[in-house]
Amino acid sequence: MKHVRIHLVVNGEDYSLFITPNRVLLDVLREDLELTGTKEGCGLGKCGACTVLLDGRPVHACLTLALQADGCQITTIEGIGEKEVHPLQEAFIDKGAIQCGFCTPGMINTAKALLDANANPSEDEIKQAIAGNLCRCTGYNKIVDAIHSCGCQSEKEKGEVR
Amino acid sequence: MSQLDIVGKSFPQIAAREKATGETKFVTDLVLPRMLCGQVLRSPYPHAKIISIDTAKAAALPGVKAVVTFQDTPKIKFGPRSEDWTIFASDKTRFHGDEVAAVAAVDADIAEQALELIRVEYKELPYIISPLDAMKQGAPLVHEDKPGNIGAEFKVEAGDVDRAMDDSYVVYEDHFYTNQVYQAYMEPMSALADVDLSGRVSIWTGTQIPNMMRMTYAKALGMSPDNLRIVVPEYGGAFGGKMENNIHLIAAVLAQKSGRPVKLVNTRHDDFLAGNPRVPMHFDIKIGATQDGILTAKDVKVVGAAGARLVYSQVIVATACYRVDSLYRLKNVRAKGYTVYTNSVPTACFRGFGNSQSTFVLESALDELAIQLKIDPAELRIKNGMGSNETSVHGWKIGSSGLRECVTKASKAANWSQKKNNKTPFKGIGLACCNHVSGNRPFAREFDGGSGIVRVGKDGRITVFHGESDMGQGQNTTFAQIVAERLGVTMDMVNVAQVDTDISPFGLGSFATRGTLMGGNGVLAAAKDAYDQMADIAADMLNTKAADVACRKAMFFSKSSSETKISFQDIASEATIRHHGAPIVGTGFYKPPTELPDPDTKKGNISPAYPFGCQIAEVEVDPDTGQVSVTNFVAAHDVGRAINPMATVGQIQGGIAQGLGWTLMENMAYEDGKMINADFVDYIVPSCFDIPDIKAILVEPIEPNGPYGAKGIGEPALNPTMAAITNAIYDATGVRIKELPVNPQKLLAQIQKLGKHVKE
Repeated sequence: MKHVRIHLVVNGEDYSLFITPNRVLLDVLREDLELTGTKEGCGLGKCGACTVLLDGRPVHACLTLALQADGCQITTIEGIGEKEVHPLQEAFIDKGAIQCGFCTPGMINTAKALLDANANPSEDEIKQAIAGNLCRCTGYNKIVDAIHSCGCQSEKEKGEVR
Repeated sequence: MSQLDIVGKSFPQIAAREKATGETKFVTDLVLPRMLCGQVLRSPYPHAKIISIDTAKAAALPGVKAVVTFQDTPKIKFGPRSEDWTIFASDKTRFHGDEVAAVAAVDADIAEQALELIRVEYKELPYIISPLDAMKQGAPLVHEDKPGNIGAEFKVEAGDVDRAMDDSYVVYEDHFYTNQVYQAYMEPMSALADVDLSGRVSIWTGTQIPNMMRMTYAKALGMSPDNLRIVVPEYGGAFGGKMENNIHLIAAVLAQKSGRPVKLVNTRHDDFLAGNPRVPMHFDIKIGATQDGILTAKDVKVVGAAGARLVYSQVIVATACYRVDSLYRLKNVRAKGYTVYTNSVPTACFRGFGNSQSTFVLESALDELAIQLKIDPAELRIKNGMGSNETSVHGWKIGSSGLRECVTKASKAANWSQKKNNKTPFKGIGLACCNHVSGNRPFAREFDGGSGIVRVGKDGRITVFHGESDMGQGQNTTFAQIVAERLGVTMDMVNVAQVDTDISPFGLGSFATRGTLMGGNGVLAAAKDAYDQMADIAADMLNTKAADVACRKAMFFSKSSSETKISFQDIASEATIRHHGAPIVGTGFYKPPTELPDPDTKKGNISPAYPFGCQIAEVEVDPDTGQVSVTNFVAAHDVGRAINPMATVGQIQGGIAQGLGWTLMENMAYEDGKMINADFVDYIVPSCFDIPDIKAILVEPIEPNGPYGAKGIGEPALNPTMAAITNAIYDATGVRIKELPVNPQKLLAQIQKLGKHVKE
């Protein structure tokens, strides 16, 4: 298969890559760029573990051809916090929203896109956003709680976890 | 007990930061130089004779470094319980997904092409999927040496069941079915295997049982166990599903043949086809009670489908036969269990281990008894529930039981009495209880306790070594808390080592809700040993006796005069200097007061502690579609003491979510002997919209045998969920669900058949 040249900006860094056009973004991120924070859970766009931000929008990296991302800005979990840990990551840690952690990168990326678009989402809006991100460990309660705690402006509304 | 600084407090998982930032290296993320990609060719038929396999074309494809079949393996029969496995199918395949051949290639594309070039000639054979059909005379045999497809039988009897049944005021009798469901851990099964120049094999894999797996695999590979090393990196969930599986061995065989490291990651499809899902079971139950609602006798027959090989299904069926008997003060019980081979994927452990299946059945039956006797279902449980310091019909010594407290607290929080009496059409509330174990004596014959190593370096850094397995539930954090508490240090000083069979203790692993109690007591004993060694040195430096020394917040001091303090780090440094570089190494073990059950009567105390729980579900049933939604959920669990309350609540919420999925959504479906929904497109697991707010209540009776009073929680979190929901469906519609999962069309038809809604 003929190789093609693509340019990606991943977590603020420029990459010029020579790839076969059939490769999906997930594999290019994980294998070529060694950004293994992005996970493969199903390969069919049904679990959300591979969610990354493409020009700020959440996409399934397992269904996106790397070619489609040519010239785009991509944010993976490694780029979410930049130098500091992002408040969303902090909330996931503190609220017990992480068990095995395999869904966490995708979940946080989806939540990041939501909060960027809507700084104070309702519980229902949070659920709408993460409905395509599966978690088998937590039962979602603590994940919704963690995202909600980042959106809420008032400390009082953040709710306590025991 | 003196004041606790660390235990009983909610700490985030010690690995949470790495997990949140994508830094964690899961099994599927691991890379070794010159690593190859492995892929498996699986049987497209449920049952077929292999006439021939031609791998020549595949082997000749550039980039392919190894092609292997049964012929490339030691051809040894093996298995964790019953030796009916081979690494690849030899003369015939026994299920859709059975391993036929495998390749290792320089990349996934070439591996995939190579699989397509392998020519296998099959002759299809008649197959059976239903275990009831498989038991019938003339059914096709899955294994020729297993007449009637019977893999195992189990029976237990205590008291006089027939007489007690005759004397009962009411007797309820019915047939139930629990289906086959998939663990759906987010990271598929995977393995990285490497072989060194001496032939020693290392396997990195997510496994709940690194040490027992090593023994089984050593036999399969025809090598001595000391030539095999299992390493357990972080991995993405298991829920019972990640025990022995052929893909680990195939990775090893490919690495042996190619001489290069091989990573084999199941596609999600392959993980469905050839993982080890839940054992489907048919139950015939008969249960009696007095007019006052005292349970008199229970009689069950269980038929479970093993699939094509026995993994742990025979032990799971045995568990379904009798574990639940120790939930109530039953005196007369009888059970007969059959584990039956079928031409379907081998079934095994999934959170609950047979007790979840039988709890669904028993708690549905109790709901019926409560109705017939006009007794409140909560009251019926309280009347019969096992209490502290009681001994069950099977000789189980219940140290602490918070069962009644669970029922009363859950009832109060759910507003049970009011909601139960306030009838609203198509809305209902249901309750179910459960028991479980914290470790299971007969699971591994040699022993059942736990052990640990606690190393304190010159810098005071503490490393805990254990041989259990953190599959994501937070076990490492629990162990770190126990060790930090015992040593009197802060959490940031404690590190927990990755399990590596070359270094770690021979832990049995994470199953049977044993981690917190068995592993926790093991690392506690090791921490005590390390502490005692340090206290001797601290006493010397503080000019006092060791008994007078204490350590809190990483400072040693004399209890009689707390003026002088020496830091934990300084003591550690001094110890290393005095010992010419040797670190403090504390080792210890926990021997539980359990006994192997009598082979005939099955009597014997199998666990040092028994957790209990009570869950209450509220549902709404759509009268037009039969769709059920769970609108509210309360769960009270006796956990002894929650070492980490946030993690404990997380276990409860996660267990309920899985139970809800099982009850209302999930089913591995077969057509023409083949699994037809083997991916997340067609097999739907709960999303956030399916799960209601789950209020978890921790009941903490402080278990005498537990580390700081703790019992386990993993499996009881799910055990009562199914019946809590289906009992609520009954309350809403008058329809008794006897088959999982709930089928909306069938439910609707039954509602219409009843004609009039019972609550109207």
